[in-house]
Amino acid sequence: MSEELLIQKAQNGDRAALAQLVKNYEQTVYNFSFKICRNKERAEHTMQETFLSMVKNIGQFSGKSKLSTWLYTVVSNNCLMLARSQKKHDYSSIDDEDNLISEENIADWKITPDQISENNELKVILDDAIQNLPAEYRVVFLLRDVEGLSTEETGKITELSIPAVKSRLHRARAFLRNELNKKLSYEH
Amino acid sequence: MNTEKATCKEVMNHICDNLGEELDSPRCVAIKTHLDSCDSCKKYFTSVETTIQFYKKYNVEVDDNTHKRLLDFLGLED
Ligand SMILES: [Zn+2]
Repeated sequence: MSEELLIQKAQNGDRAALAQLVKNYEQTVYNFSFKICRNKERAEHTMQETFLSMVKNIGQFSGKSKLSTWLYTVVSNNCLMLARSQKKHDYSSIDDEDNLISEENIADWKITPDQISENNELKVILDDAIQNLPAEYRVVFLLRDVEGLSTEETGKITELSIPAVKSRLHRARAFLRNELNKKLSYEH
Repeated sequence: MNTEKATCKEVMNHICDNLGEELDSPRCVAIKTHLDSCDSCKKYFTSVETTIQFYKKYNVEVDDNTHKRLLDFLGLED
């Protein structure tokens, strides 16, 4: 059954259709929530609140945008709201482009992405690095690079202009790369 | 801006655009030329790509209990 039809049925009160929509997107929403929170409990909570919002508001869903875009928006906003209520990040390192990209710290890495599933030490390094990245940058990096959304879609979800998305993506990549370089390069 | 030669610094600054973005301007051609012959830029480029791959491959799955709790929470049990 097409998503359009499922949404129509769900809007007319068909609970099986609603459950099917949840099933179709729970993996995406949970994984994305985890990638933002780096914590399974919080990811589950975010997923539950996101689908609760979908169930409550499905009647207002116009079908003009994709349901996935809408779900990504809810999760992103949830994350950004939480970040604003917490401690302020130190933006100085990410705003300083000269330090962000340096020709000095170039080294080979001793690990490859294929080793991720069996390497818990690497997971901790990845969690720590991305948690040091301010939420406004984290969301852009995750939507664009990790989830593979277009620059336009990422801009729509985060309410940023295309140049702003690109600039944040650029800084986020350089920042994360530097954080990982500290831990993964051969020289250490 | 000079389009014939690119420095490592410039290359590194533009490399990010290179990943997942279309680049065929003269500037980018110069950058690619530099990249082909510069080891430190290649290493930098590879490490940025690896960074993205790490986060792409680090995934979690919804297990049965998490799925059941979700449907319970929403009042949509099978
Ligand atoms: Zn170079």
